[in-house]
Amino acid sequence: MTAALNHQRQTLSAWIMLSPALILMMVILILPILIAFGLSFTDYGLGVKSVDFVGLENYERIFTRSTFKKMFTATVLYVIVVVPFSVGLGLGAALLIQSVRRGREFYKTIYFLPVMASLLAMAIVWEFMLHPTIGVLNETLQGGCDSAIIHGLLTGSWFGADPLASWYGDQCANGFPLWLGDRDYALWTICFIGIWQSFGFNMVLYLAGLTSVPRDLYHAAEMDGASSAWERFRLITWPMLGPTTVFVVTITVIRSFQVFDTVEAIFPDSGGPGKTAYVMMFAIYEKGIKQNLLGTGAAITVIFLMFVIVVTLIQRWFIDRKTHYT
Amino acid sequence: MINAFFLSSTIKHGVLLVGALIVLVPFYMMVSYSFKSPGEIERNTGGFFGSQELMVDERCVKLQDPNKDEVIALRPRFPGLDDDGVRKAFMAEVEQDCSMIPVVFNYSKAFSQAPLLRYLLNGVIVTVSIFLIQIVVALPAAFALSKLRFWGRETVFTMVILGLLIPVHAIALPLYIMLAKVELINTYAALIVPWTISVFGIFLMRQFFMTVPDDLIDAARMDGMSEYAIVWRVMLPTAIPALLAFAIFSVVAHWNDYFWPRIVITGDRSLFTPPLGLREFKGDADGSFYGPMMATATVIVTPLIVAFLLAQKRFIEGITLTGMK
Repeated sequence: MTAALNHQRQTLSAWIMLSPALILMMVILILPILIAFGLSFTDYGLGVKSVDFVGLENYERIFTRSTFKKMFTATVLYVIVVVPFSVGLGLGAALLIQSVRRGREFYKTIYFLPVMASLLAMAIVWEFMLHPTIGVLNETLQGGCDSAIIHGLLTGSWFGADPLASWYGDQCANGFPLWLGDRDYALWTICFIGIWQSFGFNMVLYLAGLTSVPRDLYHAAEMDGASSAWERFRLITWPMLGPTTVFVVTITVIRSFQVFDTVEAIFPDSGGPGKTAYVMMFAIYEKGIKQNLLGTGAAITVIFLMFVIVVTLIQRWFIDRKTHYT
Repeated sequence: MINAFFLSSTIKHGVLLVGALIVLVPFYMMVSYSFKSPGEIERNTGGFFGSQELMVDERCVKLQDPNKDEVIALRPRFPGLDDDGVRKAFMAEVEQDCSMIPVVFNYSKAFSQAPLLRYLLNGVIVTVSIFLIQIVVALPAAFALSKLRFWGRETVFTMVILGLLIPVHAIALPLYIMLAKVELINTYAALIVPWTISVFGIFLMRQFFMTVPDDLIDAARMDGMSEYAIVWRVMLPTAIPALLAFAIFSVVAHWNDYFWPRIVITGDRSLFTPPLGLREFKGDADGSFYGPMMATATVIVTPLIVAFLLAQKRFIEGITLTGMK
């Protein structure tokens, strides 16, 4: 067989082998983006006879109506709270686990459990635990109020502080929050569940990153006088973990933007008290699927994709900058 | 020095243990609630297992409350009583039949109140189909991108890299419209089709195939194997570890997925996946159904957790595969 013929044969089989993947990519990934873009300029609805071109009306509505203002607020707050905590706790857990001699596997296994469990199921369990009257959290907190030691320690009254001035003392006297039912607490509680669920994932990524930090670097740094643990972390561990951090942050941001299960499970009708937890995916679901306002839903989808692109570009920029200077 | 070391390690373990406790509390509560009676759940009593005292299932009793005709039919069984007496005697029997210990009540209700087994079966059907189709599509593509020389290879690979950036959940709405247009909403196909293409799978397998020596493939060609035969009979066996990791990644994601099934399965219970089944349970639940609901949650969460505990290394490897991007 000549080389040319062989080459031709390979080209043919390559395209045959690629065609299912390419066709599916076109139909399932690319086409929907084009459709979303197109529909975002219309008032399309399933089963609705007439479709009109409405120009930028959908976008205008999203950027002016108070509902959507709440959507952006909730989504952005969720992301900027969950990302640092989830990444920070993931890093902290990884560093601590790596520095102990015993029980590494034990802690790793436990911290990873929430990643494996259905978030929907765990959201329902959390909702139970946070129930204002029969939930264990408020029950436990209330129990602490009745114990002189705990009350004294947590309110600072043992040290001569006014118990009512502290959060705990105040809540003891006036009742603990409704958590998910309270507009001042609902979104933070949803954030907490998100952090609880996701930090174990970041932890294992960091643990993987830590194994690639060469041991000799620490010895070298010690020789150069970096004796404290903090110095070693600042000079070696943190810079060496740079690529891991860029990746962990990106993936956590993109995942946090997609939060849905917790909000839908706990606030199926409203998106939280006063719509304080009305996040983007929930808005897409509510507008697009429940209310058949597909034009509006498509416009939110487009904005959402823009966010993803921006985050990815920032990540690329970080990675490129790193490769230029190191 | 020893003491300082001991102190710092004690503090570290203390912090790690507190963290572990917070992580575990919901799992503990979930299992504990699934054991207890409604009263114990509401009053937070009974410890982990509850007292397991016999309880009467009110619904079960109410359902069997006889009407007039039934009371008349029951007369021969309770001779010498008036109708009211017959009813009372019968209800006493019913109450006996409807008593059980809370753990049995919760789990039997979980399986009888809703077709939970069906939901689990659906979960298996959907996750397995998704994984198999992903492999059938991705392996040949990955092979072509790593081991065949052809014009356009770089372009296609760039497309794959770009495809990695698109979160499928984000484009759920247009996908939903497309599926509605071809009338596939409320079918297994709707649950499976959007996930058949795993760009990530292609990327991962391509990276893996790059490490397979070309000699292996050339030798197979010499033996007269077709390119497809090489993919399935030469490449596939070498790729088992990577495939296993990808399988775990894929199965965990789709077993737990809630958003997509919620959108495309709108009423037909027989198509519900486990999370949808649990969610519906929550929708109906009044106070007395906390126990069965938690039993359902436990049943849904357990398979993956047990598999994870049995093969932790592989699972962590599989889930963090995304770290290779």
